[in-house]
Amino acid sequence: MKNIITEPAKLLWTPESAFREGANQDVYVTLDEETFQKGVKILAETFELVALFCVENFAEHTGFTLFYAFEKQGCPEILVIKRPLTSMQTTSVAKDFASACWYEREINDGFGVEFTDAYDKRRLFLHETYPVGFHPLLKSFPNQPIETGKSLQQEEYQFKKLEGEGVYQIPVGPVHAGIIEPGHFRFSVIGETIFNLEIRMFYKHRGVEKLAEGKKPADCLQIAESISGDESAANAAAFCIAVESIAGSHLPPRALQLRTILLEMERIYSHLGDMAGMMTDVAYPVGATGYFILREEILRLNQALTGSRFLKNIFCIGGMRRDIPSGSLDGLAEYLKAFPKKLLEANELVHKSAWVIDRLETTGIVKKELVRPLHLTGPVARASGAAADTRIAHPYGIYAQLELKNPTREKGDVMSRFELKSAEIIDSVTIINRLLGELKPGEATTPFNITDGHALAVVEAPRGQTVHWVYVKNGVIDRYKVRTASFCNWLSLEHAVQGNIVPDFPLINKSMNLSYAGTDL
Amino acid sequence: MIKQFERIFQPKPAEIFHDHDFEQMGIKLKQSIAAVFGRSLAIREVDSGSDNATEIELVNLGTPYYDIERFGVTFVASPRHADVLVITGAVTHNMEIAVKKTYEAMPSPKLVIAVGDDACNGGIWRNTYSVNGAANNVIPVDFMIPGNPPTPHEIMLGLLSLMNTIRTKGR
Repeated sequence: MKNIITEPAKLLWTPESAFREGANQDVYVTLDEETFQKGVKILAETFELVALFCVENFAEHTGFTLFYAFEKQGCPEILVIKRPLTSMQTTSVAKDFASACWYEREINDGFGVEFTDAYDKRRLFLHETYPVGFHPLLKSFPNQPIETGKSLQQEEYQFKKLEGEGVYQIPVGPVHAGIIEPGHFRFSVIGETIFNLEIRMFYKHRGVEKLAEGKKPADCLQIAESISGDESAANAAAFCIAVESIAGSHLPPRALQLRTILLEMERIYSHLGDMAGMMTDVAYPVGATGYFILREEILRLNQALTGSRFLKNIFCIGGMRRDIPSGSLDGLAEYLKAFPKKLLEANELVHKSAWVIDRLETTGIVKKELVRPLHLTGPVARASGAAADTRIAHPYGIYAQLELKNPTREKGDVMSRFELKSAEIIDSVTIINRLLGELKPGEATTPFNITDGHALAVVEAPRGQTVHWVYVKNGVIDRYKVRTASFCNWLSLEHAVQGNIVPDFPLINKSMNLSYAGTDL
Repeated sequence: MIKQFERIFQPKPAEIFHDHDFEQMGIKLKQSIAAVFGRSLAIREVDSGSDNATEIELVNLGTPYYDIERFGVTFVASPRHADVLVITGAVTHNMEIAVKKTYEAMPSPKLVIAVGDDACNGGIWRNTYSVNGAANNVIPVDFMIPGNPPTPHEIMLGLLSLMNTIRTKGR
């Protein structure tokens, strides 16, 4: 196993200047401005930007500190570079790390920190209705309802302009035709072929990060569960892991096993929904039926196991809020016996239809070259041939003991994502079956005392890598940064649709099924 | 070939997943819809900032276990076709204009149902900078179905009692 400290260390830092912090043993390095500028180029060669966020008044530093989290293939640690700022202006890294663009716009909105040489300085989550000069994440702003829309000094959002013979634009959203979440898609089209797509998100911005500030960690669990309804368990787990790392708690084996079972249940029902959605979007309801039925059955099992169809209110800091009765677990084991066969039967209906295969194959290709610069993650990355799986790359809980396989597909089209999701469901069933067999008796929770500190947690949600960074000061949360997989993967959609026809857009969108709520926070 | 015939004579999903309580609710709902709207109830859904679990439950109503369309309830693609607007979420500032425009685009008489805790009273987001709180703060809400999220059964029950309220009291 490689060690992230010794990788490009000779150039930027010495092993003595890199600190392991938090129970996760992530590596933190503080770089001065000159070294940082030099370092960005070196890091861009082999590192992937996992997250970029800003913290006001971190530890002894008054003012803003930028945190750049990186991962490198083969290294289990996450490297976090701290860049203390001395003014409200700084420089952009978006030219070296393409994915930094959204993060920098997010920081500009939240804190008013300006990235002077950024190529895109438009607002991100604050739409036109928010007043000029309003920065909600500043400590000087107490979270309270504000007046909006009154003085529209903010000019209208400028979409990228694409011009040329026969190019026209199709605006879609934020309200769509189906029962789905809101977002705006601006297509530039030639004939029926999509020439360019620009996505505008953040219609659902609810202020997750600000809401957590000043609250006790235990009170924030509900906020974490609300980040994205169909990823409640993954987000709750990530938040709990971060806080537990700060406190140095060690969970009893039963708690870890039960958590893993629920995390995999979430992956199963989420993927089933995606597969059903893909069939609906190619107008093949018969094909969708099988997946919808299975998803409903899994949701009902969730209800039996935890009292919530969406696995809410079952995790707590230090383990599980309550143990799962053995009767429900036996019911789960019994149900899962016949499950793979039912799934394969549903798949058979799809694979038998030549016209469905025709719609799915070669549609919406995500190129593997995009995975590292955009930090694509989850099934989107794996269907394009990248071995990106947080459960294997940065194992948490008991995943290290499970000897997971890492199924991938090579082509990166809708069909690859469809097949990959099916394969992952079967893998999740295998994991659950194994854990049900090995389930340890005993407590499912451990007493918990909150201490001050900060920690990063990465979890593989159904849609990919989710990052939670929690900073506890004086017993309450001072800063809570969430970055879901969807936030990264939206940009892959912009690339995947190019050259496809407009009617294939819903299908490509559904094959990724990204969370709007999880992106907009 | 034989397999295709077998499929025709297979029991329909709604027969396999026969759920007596839901069935009874559905029949009553169908009767009240017939009494109030003539034939069917057309619902337009707008997500105004939910956590997306409510959307999943609304979609579930159309899947084989529930198949709400057989009771005369349809989800339509445009507010122009809608009898009822379903709002989920605490109406974020960024969605405020879209929600108002959708409401305005509906033909009168307009019925609005807030589904989920966030839409009913703002939920945990009530006092944040980014939301209007309850959907009622933005457009007039006629009926509420609370829950985080409400289950398909609860949504169904909500629709039923809305129809009954209209039948007994008018609007």
